[in-house]
Amino acid sequence: MKALALLPAAALQPVVAEATDYADAADVFSAIDRLEADVDARLRAIAREQPAAREFAQSVLEDGERHRRRRGQLRRRLGLAPAPEPTRPTSPDRTLEGLRSALEALAYAHAEGLPALGDPHAVDVLAHDMIDVSRQRTVVDLWISLEADRG
Amino acid sequence: MAEAAPPRRGFLVRLAAAAGVAPPALGVIEGRALAASRDEGTDVAILHGALALENQALALYDLGLRRGLFPTGLRSYAVEFRGDHLGHRDTQVALSRERGAEPPEPLADYGFGSLPAGDAMVRAALQAEQAAQAAYASLISQIRSRDYLLSAGFILVDEVRHTTVWRRVLGLKIY
Repeated sequence: MKALALLPAAALQPVVAEATDYADAADVFSAIDRLEADVDARLRAIAREQPAAREFAQSVLEDGERHRRRRGQLRRRLGLAPAPEPTRPTSPDRTLEGLRSALEALAYAHAEGLPALGDPHAVDVLAHDMIDVSRQRTVVDLWISLEADRG
Repeated sequence: MAEAAPPRRGFLVRLAAAAGVAPPALGVIEGRALAASRDEGTDVAILHGALALENQALALYDLGLRRGLFPTGLRSYAVEFRGDHLGHRDTQVALSRERGAEPPEPLADYGFGSLPAGDAMVRAALQAEQAAQAAYASLISQIRSRDYLLSAGFILVDEVRHTTVWRRVLGLKIY
């Protein structure tokens, strides 16, 4: 993977200019699987410590399960091997800031992966999954702000 | 506070048409698929449709900020989101010009009328953001070129953030 150098120099946010250039759909799905497993582990750890977070965590975990099923369908559609079992971190960071960063990395991996898919249906599916992840990241952002306001 | 339903397609189409979105991008938002053979012309049509919505959102935020219509505690969000839309506009103007096209200018008048301050302004911003999010979500799979597809992905991430913040501020369901 290398930094994508296809973009015009002017008027682009750094996050776009420094985007990862995935080789193909298998590469994209593998990165998303890994980042999603990280998010799941962080969420489970936070939910264990903060009962108030359990409903949100459950909702995000259910979204993740649905996304995995859809990626499985896309893998079959594109003739790719099934996803290997994800390896989960054993003692993940339990901070909201860490969760926020993990969700942002996952959302960006979806965006960065779109050009490598080479299939409009796959782009449509991944873009809609990305909408869910971006929404989750924003909810965590707002949660962090609320916690900061409470002191 | 009354629940605001997700934007219906008819509402979205009217908003997009008012922003100056032209066929064939408007057709995709209406639910009609583009021709199977996507080419550079398709990308330019989508770019110009997206630019029409970005220009409309910018005009709305400019008006709201200039007249002090956003609630004081939310002004920073409005400033941030306006900045994002500026970036989206400039990126897509550059992509359009790279393709030898002339991007659309903002409309002289978007018919915003006399927007009230407070929640009504936030609701107007939410409607513009929902229209933009729905348009990018509808159009993104039709984009052919890698550079625009990448930019559109990041833009869509921003639009979801804007919509989610305004929905939360208005006490509306996020899920």
